[in-house]
Amino acid sequence: MDKFQPLANSSLEQTIDKILSQTEKEIESNISSALSDSQKTLNDALPNLEREYDKIIADGKKEADKIEKQITGGADIEARNKQLLALEESVDKVFKSALDQIVNADRSDDYANLIKSLLEESTKILGTSEIIVFTNSKDKDIVQSSLSGFPGSELSSETIECLGGVKIKSKDGAMTFDNTLDARIERLKPLIRKDIAAKFGVNN
Amino acid sequence: MTVEGGVQYSKIAEIKGPLVVVDDVENAAFDELVEIETTEGERRLGKVLEVGNGKAIVQVFEGTTGLSISGTKAKFVGKVMEMPVSKEVLGRVFDGLGRPKDGLPDPIADKFVDINGEPMNPEQREYPKDFIQTGVSVIDGLMTLVRGQKLPIFSGSGMSHNLLAAQIARQASVVGTQDDFAVVFAAIGVQYSEAEYFRRSLEESGALKRSVLFLNTADDPAIERIITPRVALTVAEYLAFDLGMHVLVVITDMTNYAEALREISAAREEVPGRKGYPGYLYTDLSTLYERAGKLNGRKGSVTQVPILSMPSDDITHPIPDLTGYITEGQIVVGRDLFRQGVYPPINILMSLSRLMKDGIGEGSTREDHSEVSNQVYDAYSRAQEVRALAGIVGKAGLTEIDLKYLELGDTFEKEFLTQATDENRTIEETLGLMWKIVSKLPRNEITKIKDKYVEQYYKEE
Repeated sequence: MDKFQPLANSSLEQTIDKILSQTEKEIESNISSALSDSQKTLNDALPNLEREYDKIIADGKKEADKIEKQITGGADIEARNKQLLALEESVDKVFKSALDQIVNADRSDDYANLIKSLLEESTKILGTSEIIVFTNSKDKDIVQSSLSGFPGSELSSETIECLGGVKIKSKDGAMTFDNTLDARIERLKPLIRKDIAAKFGVNN
Repeated sequence: MTVEGGVQYSKIAEIKGPLVVVDDVENAAFDELVEIETTEGERRLGKVLEVGNGKAIVQVFEGTTGLSISGTKAKFVGKVMEMPVSKEVLGRVFDGLGRPKDGLPDPIADKFVDINGEPMNPEQREYPKDFIQTGVSVIDGLMTLVRGQKLPIFSGSGMSHNLLAAQIARQASVVGTQDDFAVVFAAIGVQYSEAEYFRRSLEESGALKRSVLFLNTADDPAIERIITPRVALTVAEYLAFDLGMHVLVVITDMTNYAEALREISAAREEVPGRKGYPGYLYTDLSTLYERAGKLNGRKGSVTQVPILSMPSDDITHPIPDLTGYITEGQIVVGRDLFRQGVYPPINILMSLSRLMKDGIGEGSTREDHSEVSNQVYDAYSRAQEVRALAGIVGKAGLTEIDLKYLELGDTFEKEFLTQATDENRTIEETLGLMWKIVSKLPRNEITKIKDKYVEQYYKEE
């Protein structure tokens, strides 16, 4: 048995060496192949990565632009609305002050002439002088004296609430024309507002 | 027109539907504005429809509910209905009659303009040829909108046309120019929630500052709907031709407008036309649609996108039918696509922009736009045929090329047509997607595009 011992050892060693060498080669080959595969994958992924990167940046930019528009748009509108409200408040104050001046104005000869022209205008529009005239308590006397030039007209005993001027009604009650100062201001209010706003430096 | 206006008449002969007949009227004029005063002192607006024999027929915008023959007074104002206009109207919200709805005062007017507008001199019209980017791929790519065009959207009840309308209003812009762009949005007879959605949508996107909203909700009197598109177009014309802006007018829903017209016509006992609509429906619609355009020597433009819902999805219904005669193409919203959950569900095979060819190409969008668009149309049409065939013979019976078209149809709907409601695609992105669709086909199937463009953009998958 002993004389075969070295031979057996040598054969076993050779086989082991052979296996080791083969395994080493295989591992080396696998490593090399894995390395080249991973390199290839990396190289292939790079353009995709760059595209993805560009897309993320572009999307982010779009989103940022959108948010910027939202914020600036909202702020612009808010500021403009506050400006509009402030302007309206000022216009109202001017109106109120002007109306106060009208109420307290002297009922002079000029005012009597104004009433006459208002009556003329009103009868012309209604197409008749068969009218009943309404006015406020303060202007009753002036209106009464002006009616002499309008045959068929009469002053109503009933008074109306207004700043001045007259409201006339045909005697059959079918037609009414409001020529009070209040109604005239109301008709011209949009134009007057524009003029007042222009005084505050608002020009459209 | 009365000499001065302002005469109030108290003899009301009859109240019939939305109409009030006033007796013993002298000097009233057709279309003259009338203030109706109720017995409680409430004031409503109306306009003269007919005058003669001492009578005037007045159409009351806010309805005649609560009016009585005795005690109601009608004041003939002496002028037609006017809209105060100025640059200040931008960013504002008005009701259907042009009165502020945003809690702010009336705008300080630059001028007062008759809401019926002035007809455009046909000789002065300039042919529309400049591209408007809506950011919606299917519109920009396949049915391009151009400045001055009138391109309606034909939809159906319950479909997503209002979402699309709001998206167009938010995103629309003119590309490659510093010119000002504005959107005038008129909602006619919409639900309160929809009106609120439009307002919020423009506000939150920051687009409100370049927009003007006119909101007539479903609970507002139907008669107001006659006025809403007119005040909206009046403002649009002012912004375009006085201030030189490019204005996109989105009007939804024109069907509600036509219904209101029918209501008045019935109350006036006029001889009804098709489906009870008045015989002059075509003429009336044209007085609105023809207010779109560009004028020689003027900088601005008015572009219209009216939206109408077709009753029973019937494209032969008088409203879409007559609209189609006047406008320059149509965008059709498809029920099948809507049911599949596609947004925007636009049926491209039934849609067309007649002015597209002049608004695209080199200098406007891109040199290959026209050809790639034709190829996409052609390919999607073939895909639809293949789908029908697959329904009969099954997929197994299809050829290899048929399968390619089938795949193309799916990709078209999923990647090109489908878009988020807040997704704003540039024309380059849209064209990129169109080439992606075309690249699904083998090169020998591409027959509508010049070789030089195929070499440049085609990437076979």
